[in-house]
Amino acid sequence: MTTKTIELDIRGQVCPSCLLLTLREINTHHADLSAGRLSLVVLTDSRDATGTIPAAAKNMGLAAQLDKVEEYYRVIIARPEERL
Amino acid sequence: MDASVLIVLTTSLVVGLAAGFVMHRADFCLAGAFRDQFLFRDGRRLRALVLLATVSAVLFELARVAGALPYYPFPWFAPPSLTNLAGGFLFGVGMVLAGGCVVGVLYKLGGGSSAAGVALLGLLAGSALYAEIHPAWSRLAGAAAWPEAGVTLPQLTGVAPGWWVAAIVLLGGGSCWRWQRQGLWRPPEVRAEGSLPLWQTALALSGLGLLSAVGTGMPMGVTTSYAKAAAFVEGLIAPGHLARVAYFNAQPIPYVLPYGGPQLSGGGGATLDVVALIQFPLIGGIVLGALASALLLGEFRPRWLMPWRQVLMVFCGGVIMALGARMTPGCNVWHLLGGLPLLTMQSLLFLLGLLPGTWVGGRLFLRLSAP
Repeated sequence: MTTKTIELDIRGQVCPSCLLLTLREINTHHADLSAGRLSLVVLTDSRDATGTIPAAAKNMGLAAQLDKVEEYYRVIIARPEERL
Repeated sequence: MDASVLIVLTTSLVVGLAAGFVMHRADFCLAGAFRDQFLFRDGRRLRALVLLATVSAVLFELARVAGALPYYPFPWFAPPSLTNLAGGFLFGVGMVLAGGCVVGVLYKLGGGSSAAGVALLGLLAGSALYAEIHPAWSRLAGAAAWPEAGVTLPQLTGVAPGWWVAAIVLLGGGSCWRWQRQGLWRPPEVRAEGSLPLWQTALALSGLGLLSAVGTGMPMGVTTSYAKAAAFVEGLIAPGHLARVAYFNAQPIPYVLPYGGPQLSGGGGATLDVVALIQFPLIGGIVLGALASALLLGEFRPRWLMPWRQVLMVFCGGVIMALGARMTPGCNVWHLLGGLPLLTMQSLLFLLGLLPGTWVGGRLFLRLSAP
């Protein structure tokens, strides 16, 4: 069960910082994310990152859910078994 | 208003509006095409660019054979010079640091990106900087030129364009077909609202490129207008200096408007000339088309959340990109979507410089974008 959430707000940053910073965060916390102790919430307004971040998360054995929040997007990354 | 002027103006505006809209929907970033291949081994946008260049080559050749192109090869392309290579390299470095190419920053600006606004300021500063070194650079470009080569590979080799286009279809079309069989054209499973597949955007842009070539006589291009904008700004700040800068006071580009239009001329100076007639509606169209797309999706809300180190990096990227564009001369859209399909040697050299430039830009981005 997920006990902790980290929020990464990368709205307004220049491409491809969104993907780079998310990858860095996933790598730093991969053990906790895979074990279900942590979920990562990414806020982005890069339309491209809404596709590349979930694809990268999937490649790293994690699941991602995309939601539109007002004028930006929220990507929730956690282990596949978690209900996002 | 002269009918030919109206045709050129309307075509540029329509092409710009449509291009801005579809580029925003697909986030069709040409800087990202090369950068993502080098940084992430992600070839999605590079494949779309191959499709775009291949289909454009076929469309331009069909239009040429049908007599629908007012000019062939396109005007303002010149015989090759080694300076095309150097310009392409700098352009590649700059566009990665700026987070988008000269057209990319326009659709991103329309979408509400403040980073694109900073890149645009860098482009103006870089254009003004180039004007200062223009006399020396044009002497170098002349010394490194190969005027006897002609403008295109078909001209150099004496082999008809149709054969070259057949070779492009075999190579580029064959690759696209292979990617289709591998399922590589499928869009990502999760994607933004209203997202347009890259392959559809590539086809739309090749159609718009043809429309531009038929309506205005030339492919899409925007960079001389950045020099113009820089000249307008410099005229406000330092009019005395502007009057002494040769680049800003020349009208070296002749152009007879297609469809029986008048003989005009243009350049990078602060005047509303033929460059402004063709490029300003295109630039305005791209920004407005992207703005319309963002507003329809409810995604337009500019915000300033960029770290200062990124602001500095993006601005410098814009400066370097503008220097590259003026030194080449021409941008990636002009060369890859217009010149490359015709196999102009300037564009081939530009591409040859752009590839290592983008790689270097990617390495620098990794170091500079975040602590």
